[in-house]
Amino acid sequence: MSQTKVLLVDDEVEFTVALAERLQLRNYSVQTANNALEALGLVYKNRPDVIILDLRIPGMDGIETLKTIKKYDPTIEVIMLTGHGDVQSVQEGMTSGAFEYIMKPVDIGELTSKIDKAQKKKTEV
Amino acid sequence: MTEDNKLSKKENKSFLDSLKNFLRLNTLFNKSGSDRYKGLKIRIVLLDAVLSLIPLFIVVTISYFWFQQILKDDYRNQLKWEIENTKQSIEYFLDERLSTLRFITSTYTYEELSDQKKLNDVFIKLKKEFPGIVDFGVIDADGIQRSYAGPYRLQGVDYSSQNWFNEIVIRSSYISDVFMGYRKIPHFAIAVKKEIPDKKTFWVLRVTIDVETLKKYATSINLRENDDAFIINHNGILQTTSRFHGTVLETYKDFKIIPEEKTTVKDFNQSKDDCGICGYAHIKNASWIFVAVIKSTPYAKIPNIFRNELFYITVLSILFSVAVTFMLTQTVVNRIKKSDQEREIAISEIEHSSKMASIGRLAAGVAHEINNPLAIINEKAGLMKDILEGSENLQKNKDKFLVLLNGIFDSVSRCRTVTHRLLGFSRRMDISHDLIDINDAIKEVMGFLEKEMLYRNIKLELNLKENLPKVTTDKGQVQQVFLNIINNAVDAVEEGGQIEVSSDIKDINTIRVLIKDNGVGISKDKLKHIFEPFYTTKDKGKGTGLGLSISYGIMQKLGGTIHVESEVYKGTTFIIEIPITTETL
Amino acid sequence: MENKGERDLRLLQLRFIGKILAGFTHESKNYIAIVKESAGLIGDMIQLGKKSGDEPDAYLEIIHSIEEQIEKATDLFRYLNRFSHRMDTELCTFNVNETLEELIALLTRFANQKKISLEKDFQQDIPSITNNPSLLQLLVFHFLEEQLTGLDKNSSLILNTSLSNGLVVVKIMIKGNYLEAESEKKPGTDNKIHVYIIDQLGGTIIKENDLISISLPVLLS
Repeated sequence: MSQTKVLLVDDEVEFTVALAERLQLRNYSVQTANNALEALGLVYKNRPDVIILDLRIPGMDGIETLKTIKKYDPTIEVIMLTGHGDVQSVQEGMTSGAFEYIMKPVDIGELTSKIDKAQKKKTEV
Repeated sequence: MTEDNKLSKKENKSFLDSLKNFLRLNTLFNKSGSDRYKGLKIRIVLLDAVLSLIPLFIVVTISYFWFQQILKDDYRNQLKWEIENTKQSIEYFLDERLSTLRFITSTYTYEELSDQKKLNDVFIKLKKEFPGIVDFGVIDADGIQRSYAGPYRLQGVDYSSQNWFNEIVIRSSYISDVFMGYRKIPHFAIAVKKEIPDKKTFWVLRVTIDVETLKKYATSINLRENDDAFIINHNGILQTTSRFHGTVLETYKDFKIIPEEKTTVKDFNQSKDDCGICGYAHIKNASWIFVAVIKSTPYAKIPNIFRNELFYITVLSILFSVAVTFMLTQTVVNRIKKSDQEREIAISEIEHSSKMASIGRLAAGVAHEINNPLAIINEKAGLMKDILEGSENLQKNKDKFLVLLNGIFDSVSRCRTVTHRLLGFSRRMDISHDLIDINDAIKEVMGFLEKEMLYRNIKLELNLKENLPKVTTDKGQVQQVFLNIINNAVDAVEEGGQIEVSSDIKDINTIRVLIKDNGVGISKDKLKHIFEPFYTTKDKGKGTGLGLSISYGIMQKLGGTIHVESEVYKGTTFIIEIPITTETL
Repeated sequence: MENKGERDLRLLQLRFIGKILAGFTHESKNYIAIVKESAGLIGDMIQLGKKSGDEPDAYLEIIHSIEEQIEKATDLFRYLNRFSHRMDTELCTFNVNETLEELIALLTRFANQKKISLEKDFQQDIPSITNNPSLLQLLVFHFLEEQLTGLDKNSSLILNTSLSNGLVVVKIMIKGNYLEAESEKKPGTDNKIHVYIIDQLGGTIIKENDLISISLPVLLS
């Protein structure tokens, strides 16, 4: 089974680097982006399977980015990354096509299980 | 001299000014304090009382004098009428006797009446009818008294040289002035001439009447205490004894030539005690003038009564008017006071809600902000765990661990900065009177908004003047103003905009803070309304429109000011001026 | 001029928030401090270069503790966030249990310090009420604070919610003895502000020796 290609999008570099490494230790192929522009660039270039997307990123609005991605390739599954209290954004994201959401700070087990579920959904379709 | 003039002029001016200020009602609404209402009430009541009572006084005074004048005129007319009446009764009295004498001359002949006995007889009968008659006599054409009935011995007296005889020769009847008789009793004579046409001669019938009878008629007029009525002749000699103006045959001292023939009534005013109304009437057939000197003023009594009543009515009116005015004013001003109080309470409530909401937002902001550093610590720790669980050789990863740990330290630092900021803020939330450094207050607010501005790519420039003097004010409220305006600025600039916050000293008691943005700006007509409550340019549902009006209110309360300058598409600058010390806080 | 009651209430609200925020920052600072120390310890251990087979476990233990602290801090900030949003409006529809939960979360540390247990016993299906959530928190906080400062250690406070006769009832059940000095302070001007607050909330308070009951209508009329 090939590695699931994951794109990690969050404005905190320290966070993405550390989490990327952890995921790589768990046998995921991970790339990181720290703003919307970078993220979209990598989406077009590398077609990730699952995107972990923080809704509060500089540049384009998180929701807008999500919509753009889903428009570009609806098979890419997006898991929203959120701080507590962003209930509205989460709801909006879900209606805009996000697959799931997970709260920061992240529980690594929960995250990997969600990534796997997303991947499963992708491959089953 | 001129100095004094100047001074007194100044004093006058300042007195006038203070009077004007006292009366100026609208300035009252600008004062503060609970006694402004009292002052307002007093002023309204006074002004109203004065304004409504002046016409009352004018009317009452005019009425009083007018009424008095009417009564006086009325009295005068009455007096005139009475004098006229008295004149007529005197004339009637005289006419009656004249008629009687004429009748006698018609009824009896000269010869008959020359007979002493007959004359006596007629005399007695005449006296019975007319009690005032003193004597009675017949005088021939030569002026010799032929027969005489009466108390004197006048038979044979020659009157031919006397004035009255000459008069009667010309006229057919004659009434003499009063004269002192032989017995020193004043009387006057009435004579009638009887022509004897055949013989071309005449005879005269003469009767003398005592003055008392005349006086009775003269004084039949209604006389009060200080009044006097008498008869004078054309030379001013009294024909009857008067009360105050002399006895009979004395000269009436106030006599003046009276040219008119009809009854006259005039005012006279010689002195305070010697004033009143004087009436004259010429007596027909006699060269007499009936005079009435009326000093009494019964008409004055009525006004007195009237005046008393008027006084009471006026006083009651004043009291009533003032009472009503006072009650009305009380009600109205109390209502105003209540409204003002309610408004103040409402504003306070809104301000408080706004403050609470701001605090809430700041605290929530902190909670959000803490997320990332916590997440980072979590991942790094997690990674360390993964490495430890996965690898056997720790030495290899020693350096990596150290790097990760440094990352954790950095994040911890960030957490502490954020929570420290919140702690500092929450510690002094209920203090309203504090010596603060404006720059610190600004930096504290910026601390809370940094993340947001970073997220939106907004460039922040701080130009805070060093060593600003400390200010005694309410830190929380000042920060609320800053927060509100900077939030507005953040909303006004789009991505990549710029906000500049600067502070400096404006003058000896003012610190000025400028918040400048290069956003969309505000048009001139919107600028006019910008501090009005509920005025907002944001879409419906976003923003209450209260932020700037509350900020305006806060600055006013703190003794400072807030202005705005703006140009569409160029940007907006808010200028906040804070007093370093205020007298009242 | 607004009445004294309003002014007192405002000051009380600000003080209440100040206390809550201060308490919360202290608590979170503690967690963060532990994280820092733990990280420092690992650093020291690495620097000192102990070579033994137990090392991974030692590190793991410390890292585990870090993760625990992070979780606690995260929970705390979650409560802070909710609490902060209570102040957005003076009238809204909210869940009483959640509101009181925040309060407990933010007061637990204080209770632990005093060695008084603070527990919740919430009826799960009580309806949301429309009222002033921040004011309710202030009121309950006031009573809890009063009890926490007055009770001796090993006492217990149970915060209970239930629905009764159409009213939502919040009960503070007190078990324990009072400290001597505090029992003299109990009656005072504070009572007036309770009356004022409960009036604003449109509810009633019944105070007994070991029970304080606050009844609130579902809709504020």
